[in-house]
Amino acid sequence: MAASLENPDELDERERTALKTLLKRLADDEFVLAERYTEWQVRAPSLESDLALANNAQDELGHARLWYDVLGDVGLEERDLVYERDPGDFRHSTLVELPFEEGDWADAVLRSYLYDVAEDLRLEALVDSTHPKIADRVGKIRSEEEYHLEHAQNWLERLADGGEGRERLQDALDRLFPYAFTLFEPCAPPRGANEASGDEPRAVDPDVEDDIVDLGLRDATLEEMGEEWLSIVVPYLESLDLELPVDGRADDGADEFEFEVTEAMLPEERGRDGTHTDAWFDLYDEFTHTYRELERTETTRIMDKPE
Amino acid sequence: MIWEVFRQEKTGQYHTHCGNVHASDREMAKQFAAIQHGRRKPTNSLWVVPREEIGEIDSEDVAFGGTTDKSYRWATAYNTTGRDASEVVESEDEQATAERQRGDD
Repeated sequence: MAASLENPDELDERERTALKTLLKRLADDEFVLAERYTEWQVRAPSLESDLALANNAQDELGHARLWYDVLGDVGLEERDLVYERDPGDFRHSTLVELPFEEGDWADAVLRSYLYDVAEDLRLEALVDSTHPKIADRVGKIRSEEEYHLEHAQNWLERLADGGEGRERLQDALDRLFPYAFTLFEPCAPPRGANEASGDEPRAVDPDVEDDIVDLGLRDATLEEMGEEWLSIVVPYLESLDLELPVDGRADDGADEFEFEVTEAMLPEERGRDGTHTDAWFDLYDEFTHTYRELERTETTRIMDKPE
Repeated sequence: MIWEVFRQEKTGQYHTHCGNVHASDREMAKQFAAIQHGRRKPTNSLWVVPREEIGEIDSEDVAFGGTTDKSYRWATAYNTTGRDASEVVESEDEQATAERQRGDD
C-alpha cells in the first residue's frame, strides 16, 4: 500500500502523472456530460423531467469542480482546465460528448444509465484512495449520484414498457453502447508528461493506468470495473427486453457472467486517448464562446472552496 | 396525472401543502417532488397525494362553524377572576389570537 499522497510538493513525476490522469478522467466526464444535459433545459418532455435533469447537470458540474479543484494542487487552474484548454487534451469518454438528436429523450435516459452505473463503480473504487482529498470528496458525490441512477432506471423501465418508447431506447442502445465501452479505456498521459511521445493522438500509456492502482489512488483496475459494469448493465438491459448491438456473451454455459469486449466493438474515437468526435469540438467552441467573446483572461469564482 | 405535494421541514411537524407535480405514477411523483419541492427549502419529508384522492368541502357547501352565535365556545367570552380558572387566564392571549385568525365571516 502506498503512502498518503497528500502533499503535492512531495509527489514525484510518476505520482503526479497518475494523479492528473485519474482526475482528468473523472472531472472531464462530469463536466462534459453536464454540458450536454444542459441542452435539455426547457426542452425535456415535462417541466418535472426538465428540472430533474437540470438538477443532475448541476450535480455533475459540482462534482467536476471538486475534481478540478484537486488538480489545482498540482498547478492546474480552472482557466487552464476548461476555458483555455486544448480541446484535444480533454480525457472524457466519447459517450458523454455525443450530441442529442432533437427530442431524443430515450438517448438522454439511457446515456445517463450507462454512465451512472460506471460512475457508481468508480466512486466505490475511490472510497479508500491514498489521496485524502479524493477519499474525502467521494462520499459527498456518491449520495447525489444515487438519485441520478434511480432517475435513469425509473425512466428506462417506463420507456421500455412498450411501443415507441422501447423502439427509441433500442435505437439509442445501438448507437450508444459501443461508446460506453470507452468509459473503461486507458488514458493517454496528460500534456506535459512524457513529452517525448508528442505524436497526435498521444500514445496510450498503460503504465499510467497501472500506476493509478499501484499507488492506491483507486483500488480497482479499468478491466475489473469494466467487467463489473457489464455484469450489471447487460442483464438489466436484457431484462427490459432490449437487444445488445454487439454479442460478447460467452456461450460456454458458465454460471459466471462473461462478456468479452473486443477491439472491433469499440468506436474509433475513444476520448481517453485524446481522439474525439467532431461534435466535441463544436461543443467546446460553444461553452468557451462567451469567455472568448468577452476577452476574459481568468474565470469568475463565486465560492472560495468548492464544497 | 397531478400529485399534490406536502412538505415537512422537521420531524414531528405537520406536512404542509407546497405545490404539485405531474407524474405518471407514485414513484415518479416522489422522485420529481424531491427535486421540485425538497431541494431549496429545509425538508425532512415529503408526501405526494393523487389530486383526485383528496376530498374537498368548501364554504359554498357548508357554513363552517354554523350560522348562529356560538361565542360561548370561546374562553374570551367569559369573565374570570383568575382564581377560579387560572388556566383560562394563562391561555387568554392565545385564544384571542386564534379568534382573530378565524375571521368574522
